[in-house]
Amino acid sequence: MFEKQMVLTRGFQNVFKDGTPVGFQFLMKTAYYRGTFLDIIGSIEVAVDGTKYARDQLRITVGDRTFTMEEAGRAENVHWDFGTPMIVTVLAPGGLKPGIHDFTVTLGMNPSYVPPNLFLTTAQKRMTLVM
Amino acid sequence: MKRRDFLATSGLALSASLYRGAIAAPAAKPNKTPSASKITRGVTLYSYQEEYYQHAMTLEDCLAELASIGATGVQLIAEEMVPNYPNPPQAWVDHWHEMLAKYHLTPTNLDTFVDIYLGGHRNMSLQESVDTLVGQIKLANRLGFKVVRPTTGPVETPAVELVERALPDAEKYDVRIAPEIHAPIPLQGNYIGSYLDLIHRTGTKHMGFTLDFGVFCKRLPRVMVDYWVRRGAQPAVVDYVQKAFENAEPGDKIMAAVQKIGATEGNMGLAGTSWGYGPITNTPAMLKPMAPFIYNIHGKFYEMKDDLTEYSIPYQEIIPALVDLGYSHSIDSEYEGQRWTQDVIITDSCEQVRREHVMLRRLFGEIA
Repeated sequence: MFEKQMVLTRGFQNVFKDGTPVGFQFLMKTAYYRGTFLDIIGSIEVAVDGTKYARDQLRITVGDRTFTMEEAGRAENVHWDFGTPMIVTVLAPGGLKPGIHDFTVTLGMNPSYVPPNLFLTTAQKRMTLVM
Repeated sequence: MKRRDFLATSGLALSASLYRGAIAAPAAKPNKTPSASKITRGVTLYSYQEEYYQHAMTLEDCLAELASIGATGVQLIAEEMVPNYPNPPQAWVDHWHEMLAKYHLTPTNLDTFVDIYLGGHRNMSLQESVDTLVGQIKLANRLGFKVVRPTTGPVETPAVELVERALPDAEKYDVRIAPEIHAPIPLQGNYIGSYLDLIHRTGTKHMGFTLDFGVFCKRLPRVMVDYWVRRGAQPAVVDYVQKAFENAEPGDKIMAAVQKIGATEGNMGLAGTSWGYGPITNTPAMLKPMAPFIYNIHGKFYEMKDDLTEYSIPYQEIIPALVDLGYSHSIDSEYEGQRWTQDVIITDSCEQVRREHVMLRRLFGEIA
């Protein structure tokens, strides 16, 4: 579901620390038909231009709170609302180069009424980084 | 089915009379004219999920659309549209009630999720699951819903102990707990039997069922099949899976067979998805033992065709049966085709829901 809509172009940018890119970030909506608490997220996988990033390189920001994937699994009271994007930050020294990039993002949601990974959505999107 | 066949089998006395002489009398006993129907029409806002997700329709836009099609019942997925779930601000709740009054709508069923496996990270204790359900009952009460539909774990597993422990609060807040009879639950089996035992053992008036019409699928939705074909499902697999569904083969057998043919994304996607319809062995007549306890219906549909029938679900058989069984609550449209077509066409949820409501009005005998 929502494979063409879950990753947003707006907001795609490098993340800087002391003027140096330390990673990049983009906005993502849920691809499931309701909002959920963060523990329902089974997996987020990000690959850009064929490079896959590890789970521990990811941070997700919902509202004004940022979580590692490990922490998100325990965030049973933090709700990611339906239709409201989270920020996905990928910690990758140097960030991405300005220009066009090919994203493959997979989101797995694990509600308890179906077997794991039934709601697994892969978005493919070409987006341009300016800075 | 041609339009006139549809009218003939739908049992509408007026419509049928227009065609008298044009068609032979049906061999089977005709359905009763359901003009005495006490069934009301509603919509679950799940149907408008894509427009809501894209911010193309607001909650109020959804409610205004219901008013414009004469629907009287409104159903919500709590975690889809209620802000700060499960504790919306009181100002939002007040505005919700103002909008209900403005659009002459009655809340029917609040759909909630007791995610007992917490995404696979750990399992809830029984008490935690009861507390979660009770919180949802309180939310239903605040929003004016008299029925709550919780998921309670795997779709085919009854959660008798959880429901029973929440019954005192269901009574206190006057909200009926109505677990869903959703595909692929067989209508004659342990899931329904366990809950019927609970109802009869306790005599509770606050437990019953939400019925989803997906249990009556007579063939797999073609929008779903086409989706997997676009993702590479092979013709041989399409053919096999459709026949397996029609022969009521168990899901694990279908998965194993398709795995042998070729475990590609398209093939396995189709095999895995085919698990969630019917089973084909369900019939409306099987509803009799549970009919008095069905408090809400999800008028599930995947594709309303140009002839105003649903591709997979035989509404023309189901509605007269429900009238005969004395069903007197709401049928709330639940459009679920968008997820299978949104990669290739722009979704128009309102159009699909409208088509279902014309079909329902015909089957209720309101219009020809």
